[in-house]
Amino acid sequence: MDAQMNTAPRNLLHAWLLALATVARDKGVLLLLIGAPVLYGFFYPWFYTDEVLTRVPVAVVDMDHTSLSRQITRFADADPRIEVRLVTGSEREAQQALWRGEIEGYAVIPANLKRSVVRGENAVVSIEANGAYALLNKAVQYGFAEAVGTVSAGVEIRKLQASGQSAQQARASRAPVQLQMVALFNPIEGYGSFVVPAVALLILQQTLLMGAALLAGTWVESGAHRAGATTWLGRLLALCTLGWASGLFYFGWIFVLHDYPRGGNPLGALALLACYVPAIAALGSLLGLWFGNRERALQVLLFTTLPIAFMAGFSWPVEALPEPLQWLRWLLPSTSGVQASLRLNQLGAPLVAALPYLCALVALGAVCTAALLWKARPRQA
Amino acid sequence: MNSIVNSFRREARRLAADPWDLAMVTWVPVLGVLVLWWIFSAGLPRHLAVGVVDEDHSSLSRQLVRMLDATPGVQITQHYTNAAEAERALRAVEVYAVVTIPRDFARTVKEGRAAQVTLLHNAQMGTHSGLLQRDVRAAVGTLSAGIEMAARNKRGESAQAVRVSMEPIHTQLVALFNVSSNYEQFLGAALIPALLHILAMTAGAWTVGRELRDRSLGQWLGDTPGAGGILSTAGALLGKLALPWATLTLTGLIALVGITWGRGWHPPGNLWWVAGALALLLAVSLAAGAALAALTRSLRTALSGAGFFAAPAFAFSGVAFPLSGMPGSARAWAEAMPFTHYIRLQIEQLQMGAPLATSVPTMVGLIAATAVLWLVATVGLHLAAQRPATWGGR
Repeated sequence: MDAQMNTAPRNLLHAWLLALATVARDKGVLLLLIGAPVLYGFFYPWFYTDEVLTRVPVAVVDMDHTSLSRQITRFADADPRIEVRLVTGSEREAQQALWRGEIEGYAVIPANLKRSVVRGENAVVSIEANGAYALLNKAVQYGFAEAVGTVSAGVEIRKLQASGQSAQQARASRAPVQLQMVALFNPIEGYGSFVVPAVALLILQQTLLMGAALLAGTWVESGAHRAGATTWLGRLLALCTLGWASGLFYFGWIFVLHDYPRGGNPLGALALLACYVPAIAALGSLLGLWFGNRERALQVLLFTTLPIAFMAGFSWPVEALPEPLQWLRWLLPSTSGVQASLRLNQLGAPLVAALPYLCALVALGAVCTAALLWKARPRQA
Repeated sequence: MNSIVNSFRREARRLAADPWDLAMVTWVPVLGVLVLWWIFSAGLPRHLAVGVVDEDHSSLSRQLVRMLDATPGVQITQHYTNAAEAERALRAVEVYAVVTIPRDFARTVKEGRAAQVTLLHNAQMGTHSGLLQRDVRAAVGTLSAGIEMAARNKRGESAQAVRVSMEPIHTQLVALFNVSSNYEQFLGAALIPALLHILAMTAGAWTVGRELRDRSLGQWLGDTPGAGGILSTAGALLGKLALPWATLTLTGLIALVGITWGRGWHPPGNLWWVAGALALLLAVSLAAGAALAALTRSLRTALSGAGFFAAPAFAFSGVAFPLSGMPGSARAWAEAMPFTHYIRLQIEQLQMGAPLATSVPTMVGLIAATAVLWLVATVGLHLAAQRPATWGGR
């Protein structure tokens, strides 16, 4: 292998073929560049197959025991978001069910609710949801609020009608300004549809980064990293070939297979892959030169996925990042990659909207490639 | 006993001689924890960019825009003249949402009919759109209530009577346990142990796998392989993992105390119990990494395995997306991961203030898992030690 690597390639095509042959013989690199992306393409979305939360288990603490409190319980049970698993007279019992994880929240209907409503006094149903889990909290609060709101509106409209207003007038005077919320691009507001398309770009980056660094580290061990520009460009091209293949696999098939929002601007998405993959390959090779050891790439890079994910600007708003991090995060290809992919694949924006990100990737790729060629230049004999 | 001490000393010498290896169990974990904490230190995202299409141009519509802009989570950054322009801006993510106020908005309200305001939000950015839906709903609700209150006051109803008859049954939303929706306490506190979990499994795989890669297994376990017996191998493993366990646990405990008491947050539960569970989580992770290395006899494969199990552990732990929303098979996988159980215990103590009794099975489970994995790693190493021909795999 060393002998082959040390023979200078005739041209870029030859260098590319030589590098591809090296990659094909390296089980570790193949696992990272082909095995891992394919595996994660099925593994990651598996957990979010159902996309939206339905029938979250809840309890109703009914201390009123009237037709009105039973009506609230019925409406709550009919709401698709929640399912009433327990109706009890004691808040303590509901609390304990919450500790045991049997329910995720409960509504407390106070004694004398119906009497207060009839007399026109203040009546409050309190909805207690587990704030430690954001999505469950939202489902429980909206589910109960909808049920109570429907019952409450019924009561009020009947009262206003009794005072001589028409049903329509009554509805309008109850809420003069109404809010209609329209979910764009991800109409079911699915969790998998939101997370996986962005994580796909992280998977592409982390697997290619580790694969490139592992390969470059192996070359350092044997001294094969000292090579001319043609050899190195051939190596980068070989890494890119596999990176582009995984990229197409995600954009063209995994997004379709799981029916995620996609295909907004296919040509733009290809342009993104053309810029994204080389930047990662060059950065990965540069890291490999620095590590100088085959396995070090995995040891050092594995944990970085976690902080990188929260700096990419999809699961955690960048507005909330400290100022220095807002700048430093552009050194990671994933920052531009996730933003550009979101615009081009999911939102269908024109290429011009993603151009700054593509430029950042080209600049990053160019700087890393130049640094790589200089650091790994052949020693003068 | 001797094998524990010898192995511990050998590991200490090895770490002292290799700056990379030392870094990965000392300052790199500290740096990683600090970066994660820094990411969430703002606690709550503010000033998310929102656009407005105001087709009414009335004092009422301007009042609504002012109210939206005054909401801490919202910042009105753009005014668009028509829907097409707004849609282009949404597609390019210049804004995360657009509020549309229809023509005749003020007149409709004045005539006592219901007027509709529309919020177009980018649901592809789930976190942003969730926060904005909540804030815009609140602002519009306040405006609506104010209008109705004023109208009824004009008709001569008292303010108290108005408030009651407007909504005969109020709902009071109580987010138990995380009242402020503080993300530093919610995500930051959950991600730091997730990061240490990855680092610990990596460290376990690295420290054992390295002996196999460098063909130094015989040197570590005693020059005549297998001569010391399986007990001596178990001791040597314990001595080897003790140092990384101590440094990673110490990092975790300082982070735990820092993010709670250090930030003036006094959790309702028992911090010592969480500290104990964290120490056990890191022990399980180290043992799992060691077992991976002992079974695969390849440092690289063991590290790949550690990445596969530990790196996505947070994503599948039920914190971001609840376990009850996962398909049965996926949920079974999630529940086989130690981090899922640890983080439930941590949330019960730090957020929910649950009684300790509810998480006793978690503690027992973590201890049992550590013991089993330690045993698996010991047996694997014992077998590997007798077959030097299988060492040195890359």
